[in-house]
Amino acid sequence: MSTPKATDLGGRALDFVMGVVEAPINGFERLMGRKRMPYLFLAPNLILFGIFTFLPIAIAVGYAFTGGTGLFVSERPFVGFDNFRQLLQCEDYLRPGSCRESLFWTAVWNTLWFVGFNVAATLLVALVTALILNRAMAARGFFRAMFFYPVLLSPVVIGLIWKWFLDRNGLLNAFLQMLGVPPEIFLLDVGWSRFFVVVVSVWFHMGFYTLILLAGLQAIPKDLYEAAAIDAASPRRTLFRITLPLLGPNLLVVLILLMIRSVQIFDEAWVLTNGGGPGTANSFIVQYIYQMAFGSDLRLFGLASAASVLMGLVLLALTLIQLRLGRKMES
Amino acid sequence: MGNLKLTNVTKAFGALTVLHGIDLTIDNGKFVVFVGPSGCGKSTLLRIIAGLEDISAGGIEIGGRDVVQLSPAERKIAMVFQSYALYPHMSVRKNLAFGLENLKFKRSEIETRIGEAARMLAIEPYLDRKPRQLSGGQRQRVAIGRAIVRNPDIFLFDEPLSNLDAALRVQTRAEITRLHRQLRTTMIYVTHDQVEAMTMADEIVVLNAGRIEQVGTPLELFDNPRNLFVAGFLGSPRMNMLKGEVTAVGEAGVTIDAGYGAPLSASIDPAAAKVGQAVLVGIRPAHFAVGDEGLPFVVQYHESLGTETYVYGTLEGRDEQIIVHQTGHFAPRPGDLLRIMPLSGRVHVFDPDSGLALPQSVSQRSDVHEHA
Repeated sequence: MSTPKATDLGGRALDFVMGVVEAPINGFERLMGRKRMPYLFLAPNLILFGIFTFLPIAIAVGYAFTGGTGLFVSERPFVGFDNFRQLLQCEDYLRPGSCRESLFWTAVWNTLWFVGFNVAATLLVALVTALILNRAMAARGFFRAMFFYPVLLSPVVIGLIWKWFLDRNGLLNAFLQMLGVPPEIFLLDVGWSRFFVVVVSVWFHMGFYTLILLAGLQAIPKDLYEAAAIDAASPRRTLFRITLPLLGPNLLVVLILLMIRSVQIFDEAWVLTNGGGPGTANSFIVQYIYQMAFGSDLRLFGLASAASVLMGLVLLALTLIQLRLGRKMES
Repeated sequence: MGNLKLTNVTKAFGALTVLHGIDLTIDNGKFVVFVGPSGCGKSTLLRIIAGLEDISAGGIEIGGRDVVQLSPAERKIAMVFQSYALYPHMSVRKNLAFGLENLKFKRSEIETRIGEAARMLAIEPYLDRKPRQLSGGQRQRVAIGRAIVRNPDIFLFDEPLSNLDAALRVQTRAEITRLHRQLRTTMIYVTHDQVEAMTMADEIVVLNAGRIEQVGTPLELFDNPRNLFVAGFLGSPRMNMLKGEVTAVGEAGVTIDAGYGAPLSASIDPAAAKVGQAVLVGIRPAHFAVGDEGLPFVVQYHESLGTETYVYGTLEGRDEQIIVHQTGHFAPRPGDLLRIMPLSGRVHVFDPDSGLALPQSVSQRSDVHEHA
């Protein structure tokens, strides 16, 4: 008797599954007709999407026009655009203190600053990493895996790891003390804490963008570089005149995705900065939404929903720009 | 100056040696074609000359200058790639200008050179288009234009016609030849297509398994292949091969019995053959006369191309397929028995063990050249 190979087992398992599903599938086909069968296969995904994505969107939009602290629609009075007026009422948008919802505008400005720095830093780091990883180098696979690895972690884990690292008695301070530098309470300093929120975000997400850029780099035909070498192009000119223009579509995708995801900054920053501290230095829009709805028993679901709708509109605009530019580049 | 000297050029990828000590000298202004089957090392050799591949051992001189340590840009070569390798995001004009800009040429000089090349190749109307807006043939000419503006010492072509359709290939072939006559610059051209090699080359280098099999003018190689490989590779349809035995050696040549009663005579240097020696006899399809005497040939079928006819069959009682070429219309029926006689001086004799051709007798070689 020879032991069955893994492939045999796999084949048998497949046969078994097919045997089990064959009868009901055939039944459905008789019932619905062959042409409608695709909808059957789409149904599980559509149902999940409907319940956990489309329905919440509809609820949020609806709640944005209601007030009170009740959880169910029946308990919530219709207030029209009151929530939006409350959010947008401001003497000077540049001074959050002059706004009725000063916390919201603080969060908006914090988020804009974060988006600016985070997009620039992540794009640069991911691009440089992709360019290096695209070269023939030793242990390339290992480095690719290493840079991608943080993407697989939970944001909360990321926040906790870095918090320990940056704490008063954390690893970084221990290291600095070894060098004779006085310890710094990084997360209680406005400048440092903002700096490290960007650092952590770059470290967390760069692997994903590196991967997209790496795919783009590998799609550039090798003979173009050979032609450029024969054409006496310096490495610098090759980068700026050949590589970057041809990487354009991928850079655009990365840029837009990065912007969208930067606007959504919340979990890892929330954990890292103990809820947006020091003060409101790292309080971002999603955090504002979360706090209005679920923080300190405020239960301002209407206001939170209105803020999410506003943010959703910004994200929608960014996505449309991406689609538009993407199509333009393709044609 | 565009002369090239390769000395013992060796290339290995890890344990796999793809070029085994290539020695080759190419004179300035020559059109040289590297030809051979896939994987023979011809493209690798071209890329080595271009500087796109390092060599494992040996020397390369271009214009008397050792270029082994030089980058592709410093070698004064230009290359036309099989894929054309045009920069897709640049206009045709920018594609042509890119190399000159890198070399810090003056704007006016760049414009002059682009203008000249564009006129020469008739691509002036497309200068502001992107490569993807051009047809295959137009792209091909842009790729050649990019090489011309550089005014290189040596042009390198890597199978440049393989992406074109048959008609365009014939036309572009002629254009490249015309370009060579006009520019008088050394050109090295890699192809696996023996028709391109025969029609374009001043000199053909036949490569096989990383070694040079023979170097010579197209007709030298056609008339006097040095070995079985060259004999089989050049000429289409390929040379017919018959097994035989030397039965007599005389002043004028040797007599070979291929087993059909009718002995074959070949003008081989008598010193190179001995009676009883087993040989392979090679006769090209076009070098048979169909008539009343000669070898018995049983017709299987024929292909009429209008101006010429190929008759396929076997020698009576044998299995090896024999092809006979006849000019004009000729329509034998399957099963017909023809008598075919090899033309005098057109019988090649090879040693079956070494694959080498037995040297032709001196008087006969000049005679062949008169025919040619």
